[in-house]
Amino acid sequence: MIIEILAVGLIISAILALFLDEVVYSVAALAGTFLFTALIYVLSGALYAGIFQFAVSVGTLAILFLSGEMLGEKPARKASPVRTGGLVGAGILLSLPAIFLSVSGTSNVAADVDFGEALWNLRGIDVVLQAIVILTLALGISIVLYERRKK
Amino acid sequence: MDYVILSLVMLLIGIYGLLTNRQLLKVFISIELIATAATLNFIMLASPNGVGQALLILAFSVDTAVSAVILALLVIVSKRYGTSDISKIVAKMQEKAEEESEVEA
Repeated sequence: MIIEILAVGLIISAILALFLDEVVYSVAALAGTFLFTALIYVLSGALYAGIFQFAVSVGTLAILFLSGEMLGEKPARKASPVRTGGLVGAGILLSLPAIFLSVSGTSNVAADVDFGEALWNLRGIDVVLQAIVILTLALGISIVLYERRKK
Repeated sequence: MDYVILSLVMLLIGIYGLLTNRQLLKVFISIELIATAATLNFIMLASPNGVGQALLILAFSVDTAVSAVILALLVIVSKRYGTSDISKIVAKMQEKAEEESEVEA
């Protein structure tokens, strides 16, 4: 059941990432897509894949925040709640096949190690913490750039 | 097998975004979604001995390298033409080509 909810969140955030007009919101929705993907990997037993997905996606998002600040143009129209609601509704509709076909419990991925062991004994936590440091740095730089542009 | 449908939906959303969006960054996000769909499919259909997860690291590194190259190209193109709208970039390229052909004539 949890994986079905994550699948719905994955599709909705993917649609929001593509069709939101503001670049920053779009990148934030893409962050949600990557996070949901990493959680699906972890819950399916692919712990290393989940940890690497998280780390790589944080790097990609850091670059995207910075380049989004450099390339981003003001959107022609303002985001309306109706349009956002429509996008969420479209996402729910598109994820119906995944829900009704029950995506959980059909993976072949092995789960030889548990999550705590992968994170602590096998040093997955190092990768995750480095990723968080990189993302924090990139967020800080993009906030500084945003404030400079406002002045 | 059912994960194929989830990754297929993601792939279709990515392809639709690739075909309909005019902003360069949105095109990049579409490519990222397509890559995510491919890796999701790859991981869920991997063999149970963990080789799939090991190969996924290779796929991630290739994906990251491709992303870096694409983003560098996006920054160069948008700085050169002063916009990140694909239709405006194409229009400016056509204007430039016409000017060059007039000079040659």
